[in-house]
Amino acid sequence: MSARVLVIAGYGLNCEEETLHAFKYCGLQGDIRHINDVIEAPQLLNEYNILAIPGGFSYGDDTGSGNAFAQKIKLALWQPLTEFVARDTLTIGICNGCQILSNLGLVPAFDRQYGQRVIAVTHNINARYQCRWVDLKVDSASPWLVGVESMHIPVAHGEGRFIMDAGVHSLLRDNGQIAARYCKGNGNPANGEFPYNPNGAMDDIAAITDQTGKVLAIMPHPERGMFTWQRDDFDVLKDTAQREGTDLPENADGIRVFQNAAAYFQE
Amino acid sequence: MAFRIEILAQNEDISFKDGRSIEIEHILRGQGISADVRIVDVYTSENDAVKASFFTDSVANPVTQNINARLDDFDWALEIGFLPGVTDNVGHTASELLALGGATNDNECYTSRLYLIKGDMKRADVENLAASLSNTLIQRNVIKSYDEFKAQGGMGAVIPKVQLDNQNAGADEVDLDIPDAMLEKLGKEGIANADGTRRGPLGLSLLYLKAIQAYFKKEGRKPTDIEIETLAQTWSEHCKHTIFASPIDEVKDGLYKHYIKRATMEIREERGDDDICVSVFSDNAGGIIFDDNYLITDKVETHNSPSALDPFGGAITGIVGVNRDCLGFGQGAKPVINRYGYCLADPRKAFRYFRDAKATMPILQPDTIMKGVVAGVEAGGNQSGIPTPQGFTVFDDRYVGKPLVFVGTIGLIPREINGKPGHVKKANPGDKIVMLGGRVGRDGIHGATFSSVALDEGSPATAVQIGDPITQKKFSDAIVKEVRDMGLYSAITDNGAGGLSSSVGEMAEQSGGFCLDLDLVPLKYPGMSPWEIWISESQERMTLAVPPENTDKLIAFFAKRGCEATVIGEYTDSGRAQINWHGETIMDMDMDFLHDGLPETPLVTSFTRGGEQEPEFPEPADYSALLCNMLERLNICSKEFIGTQYDHNVQGSAVLGPFQGKGRVMGDASITRPVFDSLKGVVLSQGLFPRYSDIDTGSMARSGLDMAVRSAVAAGADFFQLALLDNICWCSSDEPERLGQLKRAVEGIYNLARDYGTPFISGKDSMFNDFKGYDENGEPVKISAPPTLLTSSIGVIPDVMESISLAPKAVGDVVYVLGATHDECGGSEYYDLLGYTGNNVPDVDAEKARLLYKCYTKAARKRVIASAIPVGYGGLGAALAKMAIAGQMGMDINLADVAGDLRLDKLLFSETTGRIIVTVSPPRVKAFEKLFNRVYCKRIGHIAYTEKLNINNVLKVDIAALDEHYKKPLKDY
Repeated sequence: MSARVLVIAGYGLNCEEETLHAFKYCGLQGDIRHINDVIEAPQLLNEYNILAIPGGFSYGDDTGSGNAFAQKIKLALWQPLTEFVARDTLTIGICNGCQILSNLGLVPAFDRQYGQRVIAVTHNINARYQCRWVDLKVDSASPWLVGVESMHIPVAHGEGRFIMDAGVHSLLRDNGQIAARYCKGNGNPANGEFPYNPNGAMDDIAAITDQTGKVLAIMPHPERGMFTWQRDDFDVLKDTAQREGTDLPENADGIRVFQNAAAYFQE
Repeated sequence: MAFRIEILAQNEDISFKDGRSIEIEHILRGQGISADVRIVDVYTSENDAVKASFFTDSVANPVTQNINARLDDFDWALEIGFLPGVTDNVGHTASELLALGGATNDNECYTSRLYLIKGDMKRADVENLAASLSNTLIQRNVIKSYDEFKAQGGMGAVIPKVQLDNQNAGADEVDLDIPDAMLEKLGKEGIANADGTRRGPLGLSLLYLKAIQAYFKKEGRKPTDIEIETLAQTWSEHCKHTIFASPIDEVKDGLYKHYIKRATMEIREERGDDDICVSVFSDNAGGIIFDDNYLITDKVETHNSPSALDPFGGAITGIVGVNRDCLGFGQGAKPVINRYGYCLADPRKAFRYFRDAKATMPILQPDTIMKGVVAGVEAGGNQSGIPTPQGFTVFDDRYVGKPLVFVGTIGLIPREINGKPGHVKKANPGDKIVMLGGRVGRDGIHGATFSSVALDEGSPATAVQIGDPITQKKFSDAIVKEVRDMGLYSAITDNGAGGLSSSVGEMAEQSGGFCLDLDLVPLKYPGMSPWEIWISESQERMTLAVPPENTDKLIAFFAKRGCEATVIGEYTDSGRAQINWHGETIMDMDMDFLHDGLPETPLVTSFTRGGEQEPEFPEPADYSALLCNMLERLNICSKEFIGTQYDHNVQGSAVLGPFQGKGRVMGDASITRPVFDSLKGVVLSQGLFPRYSDIDTGSMARSGLDMAVRSAVAAGADFFQLALLDNICWCSSDEPERLGQLKRAVEGIYNLARDYGTPFISGKDSMFNDFKGYDENGEPVKISAPPTLLTSSIGVIPDVMESISLAPKAVGDVVYVLGATHDECGGSEYYDLLGYTGNNVPDVDAEKARLLYKCYTKAARKRVIASAIPVGYGGLGAALAKMAIAGQMGMDINLADVAGDLRLDKLLFSETTGRIIVTVSPPRVKAFEKLFNRVYCKRIGHIAYTEKLNINNVLKVDIAALDEHYKKPLKDY
């Protein structure tokens, strides 16, 4: 029996369909469920191995992105959720999901202390929503990122700037919990330079994990860069393939994240 | 008692600095002021639960913010909050959080933002900042110096609660047995209140009021205020489009039926089995076939007047509103793409115009309007999770008083739902009337009129509305992802202009009547009069027709999704429109009279072609500098700051986005793949050339239509699966000359749509885009927006692999121009740069263009074209430069053979329609040339191993320079 994925929806989350599609494309079974239905029947979580909180604008980012939705989970679903994370499961939060996981304290959760809020994902330094393609340098032992060294996928957010104090930052770095950093096209560090680092995140951080690596909080959207036709340079890639008489690969970088999730449960 | 929670952004560590502070410091620096700004998010409520940690934890981030910290170390404090009744979205969320945490009472939470400013500023500087950050129509601002702040113990807690005094309001009788002069006054100023004040314009002409008078004489009683207000709404230009419906000159069936609707009918008939239309002009949006399983729908709205006064509110209400047109199509279509379009004055200029003769109420400046409308669509579109890849911004200073704001939504709906056609719906007698979504307040009452008196300080509520995308997102998801397929309702429509009066009235036409109880409508606050509830335009509402056996299930399901649905009445077949209030019938009119009782007003027109002599002037000496100047023209340069702020790849469906090539040039068309399992894509584009109206509105209209078709075809859309939407924004539509221009424009698009075989599926008009105000000396000023006809196109590309971007792909590729170039600089960007209008305005050679597009569609299917750009503003010169920038590749071009002995400047910048520049890889040249052997197809050069655009060896500019000039003008927004 293959692993099952639960993708959360409701209150302004909006990437649930493409996120579920990504998992299903990689051979996993899964469902989209409204958060109120999960709160009403928390035992539902036992049916799943993978939890995804997708991108969106839960509560319109009012009171700080991801804040209100995290509070809703804290008040109504915290115990079952920590039990879920304690099992051999995988959890991913993408964009708004990343903000929610950070506000819930499911990341970085040093020493598995889930629930402590030590990282903020806040307003982009230029105070502008940014929808653009970025390059990521990936360096992580997380099951989500096995074999992934770089990714070309888009960001789309107004509040994607990771901020934390120096102590938290060094712990994060020393523990190998900084999963991905924004970089230039040639792989060199973005060093905070716009637009390579689109939001001014400290240390160019684009994604972090908990200490086990099983909980991944990532601002860019792998599900929007999983197929070649979704890429910003699709026109060039398909033209080149046509000229050279080669087949255009169907998959792009983002799909690796979901393939890794499927592979984790096949072992 | 009021409780106030202050959340201060930390600033000890510079790397923690709030992006919002940095933005404001940047604005101040632009005014030569160096200041340090800190932001305090303020929550105020009569609910003491705001003090509880469950609440403060959910509104503050402990990593970056401090709760109720001592506020110190500043020179000025500026607080901006909402006026009573203005939608406060963050406040709503905070109120929800209070309830979620178990607060024991339901007192609302309100938000405001406090700026603590440290810097050498005078009070006037802070007042300036306040003016740029707030809008006095909807917000209050309070400024305190540090000393005042300390002496007064802070800013003080303000609860902007709406309090109405008409607690026992009922329906008043209105006496229509009065002299004509008094009737006219009634139509212009509205029904009189007991204290003699008037309720605001009804917009009913004497002719209409006479018809109403006669009707009630027949009924044997006096009408009530709610009946008069209902007729005013239902018969308004906004709802009945009376100018388009009225007999005009020899056209007895009116412009709409005679031209727009007839074009579609004739095209559908001609195409027979190949007809792509499924639902046209009858629903909230138009629908065409996408594939065997789905329809795509499209609707483009305008939101001009509201955007002039509150650009953010106007634009967000517009985009969220047009999303509802999509949800209200058939049984409910899923919004899959948004469009936007702005016609604005130059944002770098300041204009001294006022709304009042005393010059105390200045108009909003163009940069404020631009930033506001851009932000409004950003908030509305992004929060709704709908990609916004498609749009345009056109500049002309005559839009200064009345900006045009276009918003559109494309929907996707199964062709069959529960065994029934997805586009079909009908309210049946016996079905319950269910209102879904937000509650009703005084929002938007007499929305079109904006009386300044009503908006003065102390006004209890407001006519300006702000959209609430999350309330809508909740029911939008519930409808299109869950409820629709349960088959619980018979019909659905949106609440837009006219609110319930219009949505219930329209749905009841299908059943043959309705009976509604206004006491059942959920309200935002008590004390509203029945007529106000009935015509309120409070946003985020849908109206459904639900069989009685399904209402409980439907309401319970919506509740589980956090949405409020309420039964407020019943659809009947009584032939009457009936409303009850406090147990009494306060409205009881014939449905026929309500919908068809308005008398015809025949219109008469005249037409004089505009334009002047073609100018004579010497040939420019420096072509390179000229091209760079042209690229800096606002209608040609990049508007990248808009596109990057709009989420254009949510839903994972983006194929060809707003930015194309390494050089990120903004294309005219976009392609979206809305169904993962289908290779097909939706191609969107549009066209408009308002300045051509100065010479000939027919040319203006036809050129825009051609551009809309051509851009979509150039990107790969199938010419035979392409439909159009018309948005007509006119001015002074009570003047015969303007009506003559209108008739000519509409006649023009009728002919061209027929010639192309591209049907109109939906449209909207806005007839009075005139600003009437005063200059600084109190002299009256009237500024009319140029007559503007926007044509939007929606088409299908059979396989997204066949899409064609505008960026050249490889060195050595051959460059062609398709379509002939003529001496047509009249109304062009080039002439405008030189200060001329000219006479030779472009028109469309329909037969040649049609043949070209047919050939092109074939070529696109065979994938012989590597890149393509439609030629528009700035002619061949701008198009070639955009290609070079997009591909970051040099081009060697020779235009000597393109247009006989036409002088090079005119050849480069003439805006002749029907042209596309393409690049073709050498191995495909033969196949390409064969496909285009029956049309104008001229080889003009190749993609070069250089870093320059070289035209005729006369114009040589580095790509880097082109890039800079193209991106420079608006890069700081």
